[in-house]
Amino acid sequence: MTNRELDQLQQVHELVYESCLRLNAEDWKGYLDLCDPDSFRYRIVNYSPEIRREQCWMDRDFKGLKALFDLLPKHNSDHSPLTRHATVYKVTFDESAGEASAITLLSIYRTQLDGVNSHFESGQTSLFAVGKYEDRIRLGNGTGPARLLGRTVRLDTRQLDIGSHYPF
Amino acid sequence: MSNAVMERTPAGEHKQRHTRNLAEWSRRPQLPDTHYVDTRVYTDPIIFREEIEKIFNRVWLPVCHESELPNPYDYRTASVAGFKPIVVVRGPDNKIRTFLNICPHRGNIIVRSPAGTLTKAEPSGNPKHMTCMFHGWQWDAFGRCAEIPREEQGYQGRVCKADVGLREIRTEVAHGGFVWVNLDDNCEPLADYIAGAFDFMSQELDTEPLEIFHYQKSVIRTNYKLWHETSREFYHDYMHYHNRATGMLQKGYFDRKYTVFPNGHAATGLTTIVYEAYEGNKDRVLTFPGMPKNGWKQVNIFPACTYSLRASCLRVSIMTPISERETLIEIRGLGLKRDTPQEREERIIDHDTIWGPFGRNLHEDLLAVQNQSIAMREGSGSKYLIMAREENSTIHDEIGLRSYFAEWTRRMGRMASDPTRLLED
Repeated sequence: MTNRELDQLQQVHELVYESCLRLNAEDWKGYLDLCDPDSFRYRIVNYSPEIRREQCWMDRDFKGLKALFDLLPKHNSDHSPLTRHATVYKVTFDESAGEASAITLLSIYRTQLDGVNSHFESGQTSLFAVGKYEDRIRLGNGTGPARLLGRTVRLDTRQLDIGSHYPF
Repeated sequence: MSNAVMERTPAGEHKQRHTRNLAEWSRRPQLPDTHYVDTRVYTDPIIFREEIEKIFNRVWLPVCHESELPNPYDYRTASVAGFKPIVVVRGPDNKIRTFLNICPHRGNIIVRSPAGTLTKAEPSGNPKHMTCMFHGWQWDAFGRCAEIPREEQGYQGRVCKADVGLREIRTEVAHGGFVWVNLDDNCEPLADYIAGAFDFMSQELDTEPLEIFHYQKSVIRTNYKLWHETSREFYHDYMHYHNRATGMLQKGYFDRKYTVFPNGHAATGLTTIVYEAYEGNKDRVLTFPGMPKNGWKQVNIFPACTYSLRASCLRVSIMTPISERETLIEIRGLGLKRDTPQEREERIIDHDTIWGPFGRNLHEDLLAVQNQSIAMREGSGSKYLIMAREENSTIHDEIGLRSYFAEWTRRMGRMASDPTRLLED
């Protein structure tokens, strides 16, 4: 692998992992800073064997996602923190476009806070969901750092308890 | 210890406002029996078992949508009335039938997948048959036994295929193409049970075929009635920022009427919502046949189903009670079968904004009913729930709750306000 290829691979890893750290910290603005405002599209999808079709559970562009984050304080949410544990499995490059695609295996843990009886259950951690990120990334160059162009969260988990106001 | 202040009520009386000691807290509300509920109806396992017997084993229950089994030999499995496993099958004659999904030989589950087609052979069976993997007994799509391995050698005519057909369950397809079942062989027809509750939504539901695009489910730690009650009272609009922004500020919102029907069903009249008032939302352009743009209608079917038609998408919520403190909640989103890909995408986004697992309202509703169950666990000190709002049957009137418990009382033979009191008392 050439130094250039190693550099590009490192850019992808750093971007994916940084996005998880910022989401885990509920640093929504920081997360959006990693996304391209003109083309970012965020989707959560899965295949349902019950209805035998692919389904989408969230679909937002950059502006829509920002509005969603901005309105979080107005909503009555379960404030249990979510921890995203990610491992980048596969990266492919499109040299001509200056882009990369990454597949990242994802586990999401939930540490209870106020969604249930907080006296008994706050502090308990359980596996909330598993799936993967399918990211499209614009690689960094002289004019700017690497940025997320699109993220599809493809879930294996289809029962999400009481759901979540927080994107994965 | 006295901690009292004087308060003037809206009726002009002066009343002392103070905290309550245990005796005061435990006292029955000074309201008619029909206007409050004893929390034991949500927590008592004996009452729960009685509800299964007296209600769920006898009423019509929706289990899936016809578009989940579009072709002959397609099937869908589910459970009704607690743990009764069923399999819904579309026969070669295109008719949808339902069977108890239990092998009459050794009691195994026969069809195991959530959905699929019988056209493919199982490892130990033939195509176009339902095969019990345990000993290879098979049934056709009409529920008739088609194969007992080594039948003659083992049973010598004492047991034969004619004796062991599947238990067929009364089934009708109606009201937007939903598959309804009734475990009572002697039940009234579905139309009689519904008693006109869908009439004001029939144009939207039945003008052209619908198609499912969304399915989600969760086992929630709550009593099934609490979930259904969130659909029957809109006073909890105050919990949802989405409702506060898009509905409650609109002229006429509070004039929307509630209509109650026989058998415990209730419906809310048409209102229009300004969806774009919620930042990041768009105006909803798509509708259903006969539905005005941005319209919203809702029908609640006793005991555990809600149809909510919000402009571009239909949500149908179905509850299957598991125990007094656990409920399987299934949510389906539907559009028109003829949707273009672009239209379908738009309906899906509209649906998920509110009702998806990441939606603004669903999470709040589920959070609330789960916390209700925590608060009113047996021994917690919880006593009564009040359903006494009377606002001329308009949207924040709790008539929908009262009509529910009137039917519950009739079927259970117990007062919901005091479940130890039998109706004949």
